[in-house]
Amino acid sequence: MEIFITLFITGFGLGALYFLVASGLSLIYGLMGVLNFAHGAFLTAGAYATWYFTTSIRADGSLSSYVISLFIAGVVGALFAVATEQILIKYLYDRHIDQALVTVGLGFVATSAYLGWFGSDPLIVLPPTQLYNTVQIGDAFVGIDRFLYIGVAALVLIANFLMMRYTRIGLIIRAGVENRSMVTALGIDVRKAFTFVFFIGGFAAGLGGALATTYASGVGPTLGDAFLIYAFITVVIGGMGSVPGTAIAAIVVGTTQVLVNYYVQGLGDFVVVMLLALVLLVRPQGLLGKVAH
Amino acid sequence: MTSNAAIRVSDLSLAIGGAKIVDGVTLEVKPGELLGVIGPNGAGKTSLFNLISGLRPATRGNIYLGDDDITNESPASRASKGLGRTFQTSSVFTLLPVLENVRLAAEAAMGGSMKITRRAYSFKPAIAKAEEALNAVGLSDKRFTPAGALSHGDKRRLEIAIVLASDAKVVMLDEPMAGMSVENVPVLTEIIRSLSRDYGRTVLMVEHHMHVVLGLADRIAVMHQGELLICADPQTVISDPTVQSAYLGESL
Amino acid sequence: MNLLPGKYRYVPVLAMVFFGVAAFTPILNEPGLQQTFAVAFLFAALALTYDLLLGFTGLLSFGHALYYAAGAYGAAYAMARWDWGIIPAGIFAMVFATLIALFTGATALRVKGIAFAMVTLAFAEAGHVIAVLNMWGLSNGDQTLQLNFDSVPDFFLGVNNTRNLYLLALVTLILIYVAVWWLTQSSMGRVLQALRDNEERVSVLGLKPFNFKLIAFVLAGVMAAFVGVIAVIVTNNANPVMGSTQTTISLLLMVILGGIATRWGAVIGGLIYVVLSQRLTTLDTQGALSGLPEWIGGPMSEPAFILGVIFILVVMFSPGGIAGALYRLRMKFGSSVK
Ligand SMILES: Nc1ncnc2c1ncn2[C@@H]1O[C@H](COP(=O)(O)OP(=O)(O)OP(=O)(O)O)[C@@H](O)[C@H]1O
Ligand SMILES: [Mg+2]
Repeated sequence: MEIFITLFITGFGLGALYFLVASGLSLIYGLMGVLNFAHGAFLTAGAYATWYFTTSIRADGSLSSYVISLFIAGVVGALFAVATEQILIKYLYDRHIDQALVTVGLGFVATSAYLGWFGSDPLIVLPPTQLYNTVQIGDAFVGIDRFLYIGVAALVLIANFLMMRYTRIGLIIRAGVENRSMVTALGIDVRKAFTFVFFIGGFAAGLGGALATTYASGVGPTLGDAFLIYAFITVVIGGMGSVPGTAIAAIVVGTTQVLVNYYVQGLGDFVVVMLLALVLLVRPQGLLGKVAH
Repeated sequence: MTSNAAIRVSDLSLAIGGAKIVDGVTLEVKPGELLGVIGPNGAGKTSLFNLISGLRPATRGNIYLGDDDITNESPASRASKGLGRTFQTSSVFTLLPVLENVRLAAEAAMGGSMKITRRAYSFKPAIAKAEEALNAVGLSDKRFTPAGALSHGDKRRLEIAIVLASDAKVVMLDEPMAGMSVENVPVLTEIIRSLSRDYGRTVLMVEHHMHVVLGLADRIAVMHQGELLICADPQTVISDPTVQSAYLGESL
Repeated sequence: MNLLPGKYRYVPVLAMVFFGVAAFTPILNEPGLQQTFAVAFLFAALALTYDLLLGFTGLLSFGHALYYAAGAYGAAYAMARWDWGIIPAGIFAMVFATLIALFTGATALRVKGIAFAMVTLAFAEAGHVIAVLNMWGLSNGDQTLQLNFDSVPDFFLGVNNTRNLYLLALVTLILIYVAVWWLTQSSMGRVLQALRDNEERVSVLGLKPFNFKLIAFVLAGVMAAFVGVIAVIVTNNANPVMGSTQTTISLLLMVILGGIATRWGAVIGGLIYVVLSQRLTTLDTQGALSGLPEWIGGPMSEPAFILGVIFILVVMFSPGGIAGALYRLRMKFGSSVK
């Protein structure tokens, strides 16, 4: 039972990281029809930013440095994402396949650039000592960092919800996901919303990257690629364009993966893929997805 | 129950998110008959065709091709039973040559399209049939042009050639004259007339050009807000008061 | 779509003859170079099988490497663990890959477009995980599954026989080229191209899109598996990278670089990609980049970086890749096209 609790919360934490990557992917896809293969590169950029900040700028190992680095990682991810949208995506409007291909190319270029800059070996990022503590739940001991992931993801989810509900740009995004041509027909400039979803998607991914350095004890050039694949799976299971669906799917994917992997190393990854196949057979539009036209 | 209708729908309905797009349409078309389908924009004409051809599943009701209940069949199996259609916005294989567009239809009708072992152009009967159809619509000299490069009018002809070559017994034409220049209309009208007269096809045709419909149709069905208002011979239809009120403002 | 007018049709044939003869002349006599080209031929062949999906059927798969890896591992496993000869091992591998392609294809094809891309990606990742983690002892993990030298004839072994491997790879490329050419000219192949253009239209002609797409998917998978079997002989092992997403993405790069749906575009893309990757690495080791500042020299020493940049430029500014660019040039200078 103890082990189950530990694993479950660890999986929940991993799911939180998936959510940070997948929520942006899902929104970008829902609004613009772009499958962003460069999203993993945003995450890796955030992770390297954390590494740089906590080893070269404020290497005091304090909690405050760590928190600042989270924020910086988010900003780095967001800037990278906005640059991507402004420099590459923007000029390929309505060429959806080409947009996806360009992001594939960018992901490829970014990974090799990281390799050239930082080498192939993972760089160690040491989290502040406070994160090494454990929390006792019943008889189980759970690393406190798991709760940090969950907390950050929850904040992002809530912020997302509030923004979608109460801000004008959020309204435009929601309406745009439902029916983009309608929003354009109403004379609203959706392009600002495009840039905006890249911004928030990139921010969440960068944040996820910073946290991933703690989860994976460091950062290597392909850190983001590993997360990206499971984020894709999360997005499809949750239903593209639906942030709540993504949240639910992220938890399911993370916990399943961790629980099963504990018993047979690697089998969890496998089971998650089978889960995806199953969902597609029963509900091709995903858990909370809109029905594809 | 058997009837001698080529195609028959009963209580056919489609609802999307509570909106009744097609609402309880019952209709039969006799073999060789040419039925005009008219109605204001958004009346549900295209949706009716989508239901019959199976591109959208019906919410309620049945569709019979001859005596065969095809309500639950896939678009492909309906087509292979002899149901053909064109689309409101030209829908051809843009990257393939004109001849290839028609040849595919002919070969599909002859049941040979699965063959990996046969080179496409070595199956002469399909080519012959395709050439014949292209001839009938006057596109023979453009047979090697990529279909995407055709003029709008030629694309519409190509679509007719495709249904002609496909041996479909029942043919649904969705606004075949849409966007055609005036001088092309009579030519296409004659092609459609021969579809029913010379080739014996049963034709359902949605069309906004009233004089074309009046000149071609044996009977006319009028749709309005998803419902079938009336289905009768042209004279009865134009003098019907409900039709006139449905079209209020549009001249017949 | 065929961008080669009649008078250029013999160019691919001449090119293949050239490569065949060249191996016996000083031009391509060196084993290192022959090995590079052997690998390039195999990737060109793989790119062709990928083009059958992407260019000729309109299916964007991110999991094509799975079938290549299944072919390689299937053969390597049967040879290493069961001591089978290369022929039965190869047949076993292709049957194995067919079954996987059938199952994964039938599932993935329930969705379309981008969702299809993601699902194929996920399936390939599952395979990749098995290979990396050596699950159930199947793959030997990062140690790679070595070729059992007793299973293949001696003339394919050792540095002295590199030319034979080169020729084997060339023949493989020719076989795949002919197979893809045949398929795309066949009645069924035409349906695939029609599907790429307009799926709804195909279904109202009485043809079931799903069936045709599945056939294309499985055929492309089986051909990739065949290349995988040969790759085990040429490179002496089956390794996890074969099944990685990186491999599929490089196939995508090759096909887009060369030009989709032209067949020879995929071949050129594959050859350029592999040869350039290898040459660019030597460029770096020869110190050609030493004058550059570190922040730009670092990435420049990664061939993937340069290839990726070229790829982005091609997608943005030259749709249709090299083939498309040549085509536009020809149109511009008015040589007649049938
Ligand atoms: N997928 C859909 N979702 C929601 N509403 C739809 C959908 N398809 C059609 N409709 C609605 O159904 C109604 C009927 O559409 P349909 O295209 O069948 O009309 P039509 O008679 O062919 O009109 P037109 O003459 O303009 O071609 C329209 O109001 C349209 O907006
Ligand atoms: Mg219509």
